[in-house]
Amino acid sequence: MFCDEALDTIEAIAADELMPDGRVAAHLASCPNCAAALVSARALEQMLKRRVVPATPQQFTSRTMARVRRARWRNDQFLDVGFNVAVGLVVLTVVAGVWMLLNRSGLAVVSNDAVDLLGTGLVTFFRRVTPSLPLYAGAAAVLATALGIWWWAERDAAL
Amino acid sequence: MEDVHERELVERCRSGDERAFQELVDRYKDLVFALIARTVQDRSRAEDLSQDVFLRVHRGLPYFRGEARLSTWIYRIVANVCLHDHGRAPRTAPLDEAQHADALSTADRQFTDLEVRDRLEKAIARLPANYRLLIAAHYLRGVQYEELAEALQLPLGTEDAQLYRAKQQLRRLLETDLQ
Repeated sequence: MFCDEALDTIEAIAADELMPDGRVAAHLASCPNCAAALVSARALEQMLKRRVVPATPQQFTSRTMARVRRARWRNDQFLDVGFNVAVGLVVLTVVAGVWMLLNRSGLAVVSNDAVDLLGTGLVTFFRRVTPSLPLYAGAAAVLATALGIWWWAERDAAL
Repeated sequence: MEDVHERELVERCRSGDERAFQELVDRYKDLVFALIARTVQDRSRAEDLSQDVFLRVHRGLPYFRGEARLSTWIYRIVANVCLHDHGRAPRTAPLDEAQHADALSTADRQFTDLEVRDRLEKAIARLPANYRLLIAAHYLRGVQYEELAEALQLPLGTEDAQLYRAKQQLRRLLETDLQ
């Protein structure tokens, strides 16, 4: 038997997971190098078994939960921003679509005329109303004074 | 019974129950931290990575189909985190030394033990990450061999062979160190 063959089984023998058969046992008894390797493997096995189990830090759970909450919050924020951007894009697309539709169908010209008409109507309305504004303001002041006196009288009656 | 409880816990976590997730962290934290701390050998880094594991669990729970056991899935995440950790090189002072620093001032025997442990930890730190993880897991109580093999996607026989190879390499490293 060659040393390589015996050395392949050394770790399993040292861990008591393999019983050396006759050939391997005979080789280990006659080869000082392989016997020394077995001693060293057994020592290593013991060292590994005695290795200290690292204790979990105190407050590990609370710190982990805090990180989870932070990550979830960031994720929510990201979703919110994403949702807002998506809504904005949808609104822009709809507006652009309507504008294109109006342009292609010729309705844009009609709508421009309608806007012009509305604008002219508003200007005419304000021109007519402007000279009477002091009169309306005076009437509003009289009404406000009357309402004030009524409120004051009511308050006194309630007392 | 255990499986039923585990499934219930997963379902509660999925429905957004924070207490259920806290229960999950409490249940697996010791195993996860011990595995990672033995693999990366830096306590603060180990804590960061352990928290990363639970963050990934939290993120992945909606997609967890329950085909594997929860623990197997967690082992797989631990393996991924450890194998892809290039954040920091292992520090020279081992984890055990930090935990037993007061032992330095006591008897000589304890000092020798500490020295041996130090050498062992340094040698382990020089192993490839998958070997470090295998050795860490093999000597930890509570880690199921089959689940670990499944997590590392190794057939059971291959895992044994890999473990022996890891120990052989470790023994050679220690022998070289002693010479």
